[in-house]
Amino acid sequence: MTSTVDPISLAQKAASNDTEIDREALASLLVEIARNVDPDYRARFDGVPTADPRMATLRQLLVGREISELSRVTHLLDEPEQLASAVGGVLPSAAARAPYAQLGEALAPAVERAVQRSIQKSPRTLTDILYPVFLPAIRKSIGEKIDQTFQSLNETLRHIFTWHGLKWRFEAWRTGASFSEVVLKHSLVYRVEHVFLINRNSGLLIAHVTAENATSEDPQLISSMLSAIQDFVKDSFNEKEQSGLDTIRFGELRLWSEVGPFATLVAVIRGNPPEELHEIVRDVLFRIHDEYSQALEQFDGDSSQLAGIETQLQTCVELKQEDSNQGFPWLVVAAVLLVLIPAGGWFFLSWQSGQRWQAYVSRIEAQPGIIVAQQTASDGQFFISGLRDPLAADPQSLLSGTQVDPARVHSHWQFYQSLEPEFVLKRLTASLAPPKSVRLAIVEDRIVAEGEAPDTWIDRARAAARQLSAGGPVFDVSKVQDVSPEARAAEHWQTYVSRLEAQPGIIVAQQTASGGHFYISGLRDPLAADPQSLLSGTGVDPARVHSQWQFYQSLEPEFVLKRLTASLTPPKSVRLSIVEDRIVAEGEAPDTWISRARAAAQQLSAGGPEFDISRVRDVSPEEREAERWQAYVSRLSTQPGIIVAEQKVRDGQFYIAGLRDPLAADPQALLSGTQLDPARVHSQWQFYQSLDPKFVLKRLTASLAPPKSVRLSIVEDRIVAEGEAPDTWIDRARAAARQLSAGGPVFDFSKVRDVSPEARAAEHWQTYVSRLEAQPGIIVAQQTARGGHFYISGLRDPQAADPQALLSGTGVDPSRVHSHWQFYQSLDPKFVVKRLMASLTPPDSVRFSIIKDRIVVVGEAPAAWIDRARVAAQQLAADGLSLEISELRELTPQKLTHLREAIQAVDIFFDSGKAVPGPEQLPVLDKLANQLKELAKDARKAGVTAQFMLTGHSDATGRETANVSISAARAETVRALLKKRGVDPELLLVRGAGTFEPAETENSRTGSSANRRVSVTVNFH
Amino acid sequence: MQKKICMLGGFAVGKTSLVRRFVQSIFSETYLTTVGVKIDKKSVVLPDKTVDLILWDLAGEDDIGSFRVSYVRGASGLVLVVDGTRAATLAVALTLRERAEAEFGAMPFVLLFNKSDLADRWAISDNEINELRQLGWQIYLTSALSGEHVDDAFRQLASMVAK
Repeated sequence: MTSTVDPISLAQKAASNDTEIDREALASLLVEIARNVDPDYRARFDGVPTADPRMATLRQLLVGREISELSRVTHLLDEPEQLASAVGGVLPSAAARAPYAQLGEALAPAVERAVQRSIQKSPRTLTDILYPVFLPAIRKSIGEKIDQTFQSLNETLRHIFTWHGLKWRFEAWRTGASFSEVVLKHSLVYRVEHVFLINRNSGLLIAHVTAENATSEDPQLISSMLSAIQDFVKDSFNEKEQSGLDTIRFGELRLWSEVGPFATLVAVIRGNPPEELHEIVRDVLFRIHDEYSQALEQFDGDSSQLAGIETQLQTCVELKQEDSNQGFPWLVVAAVLLVLIPAGGWFFLSWQSGQRWQAYVSRIEAQPGIIVAQQTASDGQFFISGLRDPLAADPQSLLSGTQVDPARVHSHWQFYQSLEPEFVLKRLTASLAPPKSVRLAIVEDRIVAEGEAPDTWIDRARAAARQLSAGGPVFDVSKVQDVSPEARAAEHWQTYVSRLEAQPGIIVAQQTASGGHFYISGLRDPLAADPQSLLSGTGVDPARVHSQWQFYQSLEPEFVLKRLTASLTPPKSVRLSIVEDRIVAEGEAPDTWISRARAAAQQLSAGGPEFDISRVRDVSPEEREAERWQAYVSRLSTQPGIIVAEQKVRDGQFYIAGLRDPLAADPQALLSGTQLDPARVHSQWQFYQSLDPKFVLKRLTASLAPPKSVRLSIVEDRIVAEGEAPDTWIDRARAAARQLSAGGPVFDFSKVRDVSPEARAAEHWQTYVSRLEAQPGIIVAQQTARGGHFYISGLRDPQAADPQALLSGTGVDPSRVHSHWQFYQSLDPKFVVKRLMASLTPPDSVRFSIIKDRIVVVGEAPAAWIDRARVAAQQLAADGLSLEISELRELTPQKLTHLREAIQAVDIFFDSGKAVPGPEQLPVLDKLANQLKELAKDARKAGVTAQFMLTGHSDATGRETANVSISAARAETVRALLKKRGVDPELLLVRGAGTFEPAETENSRTGSSANRRVSVTVNFH
Repeated sequence: MQKKICMLGGFAVGKTSLVRRFVQSIFSETYLTTVGVKIDKKSVVLPDKTVDLILWDLAGEDDIGSFRVSYVRGASGLVLVVDGTRAATLAVALTLRERAEAEFGAMPFVLLFNKSDLADRWAISDNEINELRQLGWQIYLTSALSGEHVDDAFRQLASMVAK
């Protein structure tokens, strides 16, 4: 290498951060290359070296900057994250600059998909976003709908009973429209007088149209004021809604406003507009927004761009509903007439038939021998009842010619004997059968018989007269003369013959009387009266009568009746009677009897009287009842859960017995509607449990009380439970299924899933937590369940219940519970009291109570204790708690005071120079010991401690030091003696006072026995 | 052409008196106390067009907090009214303008120092007015009593908002 320039150093230089090409380096490189073009240099190489480092240097010099820039860009494009952040930086401005239409086209599908995806994922998010948009719209729409409904209801109510109402109802019927529509159409009289279109932003008027003849103040000012008022309402009541005032009403005038995105349309309406007008106005507003949206949005007070709007608004102003006067309502009149004419006709006819009936009744009442007791007409039927003499005219036959329909007349006549002379005469004629020689006549209401008669007849007539005398008319037989015996015999015979002839079923063919004997021959029905027996009472001698009778069957109705009665044996409920030669059967009979009667009627039809059985109903009441009973029984038998074991009918009483499930229908309740008399139904039901799946289902539901998550149903006679339930329930269901397995339907609860043990454990945990939270003195700060373990932390008062102990019975595994409790002092008064009790150990005579969060201490206590309580109260006051001790009284009970005084009055005396009391002092010591013990005990009871100071004294003789020591020795002696007598030595304090506390002043030479003593003082603590 | 203009100013600066004599009005002054706003109209004939200024006269209150800024929505310009005899009303007017512009953006306005007839009680120094004029503000000393400069002010505002 002969080069003078080191290429490495050049390259290094070029790699500097200088963005400019290093021109100096480039120039020297080119010079260097040019030097190498030297032929000598070239000759040394076989060719140009493939990798000349200078080329690289050259490249670096020329395009080094571009290379590094390019690599940066490449790197940017290759790294997704960097690319994303780079694009993100420009995306908003790129989107803003993109042509609207194209960007919209490109984004629309993506946005649609994104929204779709979002809804699929969680509809709630989008709902939350759209909620503020939808809610006002929905609220407004519902509000209007309700207004609409109210209006139509109001109108309907107002017009329902008026003449207009009828007219409109008819119109609704004629046109098929709803009544309320017709009412609205007629009753809403209104006119839209002004329409303002107002810019929403500035309140400036965009357009205004007026109806003919309508006037107003400057519309520009009005529109601004309207929006000012809207603002006012919005501000005053803090209304955030985007909508404006809906309606302003002033007397007859209403202002309706519809709010659009850029403009508000206000319609001024005079009168009573229908709610539908809202929609019309809204439509116009939408159309205007549609056509002029850009012009509206950019409106700046210049409405020249919006000239066409007025024609749109004009459509609103043209809206009105005038009161229309219709012609006379001929159709209504015709309809009313159509109804009235038949009604009138009906009333007239019923009045007329009533009149006819009254005519008939008075006709009957005029008849002798007929007494009308009662008569009514109802529902076009006539009912009459009363008495009639058998001899009186037949009321039925009187009907003819009265125009009263016999089928609608229901008569009920009872026979009686009239005492009117005509009737009595008739009856006498019939009963006495006077001989032809006797004539009966009525003379001045008396019945008079005249002529000749056999004595037998006269006797009978006389008897009849006697009978009649009671209330009836007088029967005067005095004018009848007795006839001769022969003539009488002949008369008797004739009487007999005519009697025979009168007998039904007897036909007299021949009769003669010769030589005092009578001969008679003829035909007689076997059922007819015996001619022989008829002789009796006739006065004819039977021995003289020679009869010859041949039997035959009479076809006279009476005989036929008799024969029918004998052969058909009709039931009691059937009455056979003869009505105008026809035999009529009436009443009720079983159908078997009716068919037999029908057969008999057919037999008779050949020559005999007609036998009419058409009035026999074919079911007797008993049978009907029996049928009803059977219907009831079969109804019961089909009832699920009812088993009829036995049933019978006896003497009109019904008996039924069987089993019923308590859940089955009540048999008693099923009786209703059967027409059976419940009083005659005697039921005896025993309860049993039906194994019908329906009943089993009911019972299971009642006994198992399945949770809501479980559904019981019947599938093909099996009872199937589905859903989720805790294992305890499943266990109970399993037990129930086992019980049922004996004969009952299958209870399949395999589809009930066990609520997961985790859920159960969580439930138990929650129970435990809420139990803790309910505990006074425990504050749960935090609790979580994670990975099957439960964590709980909080505060607890040492006096509160032990959280661990509360675990028992909750079903929570204690080993999984991790508790972290910090002790704190609950300021709950209950706990404060507990603490005070522990720390202050109050005497028994003191009571703590909590009154409205204040702790009140009452009672008696020694002063020392009261002091401690006062300190405690001060401490508590710092915590904001009040402990009131003002009620406490200082305790120095009377007894203690007395005892103390008694004890302090005692002295134990000593002889001079002695430290032990003389024997005469022993009783004093005994008594003192007892007093001390008593006081100690009483003091303890009162919560105080009594201490006894034994002070020894000496007289003034001798040296002072000796005196002090002997006084102490005396006290010690007494202490020992008292201890010996059972006084607690702990309570006995000892001191020697020497001569310093003498009981009396003394002559120091002789000394004083009163001063050689031990005195006692009592202190309470 | 119509433009919404709001008249802003403190209590008793004479806004109502200004409009009472010089504008067309159909609403009584009780609106101010009931609704808090009264609408009046002032037609200004400019060389090329007529501008109807719809004047929203807001109830003036010294309590800035009760100012219903929402009434300014959609306004094209403001008339700020100051009582020349009470210096504090200038601050009130300027605060009101700030609040309106903070809400709805900058808009043309004229500043009227009213009650110019009460020269002896005048409380605004000429310096102060000149400083404000330096800001390029259109300022008029008006008198509702004499009508001095009132029409000029409205004409000026009309030409500003009609651009």
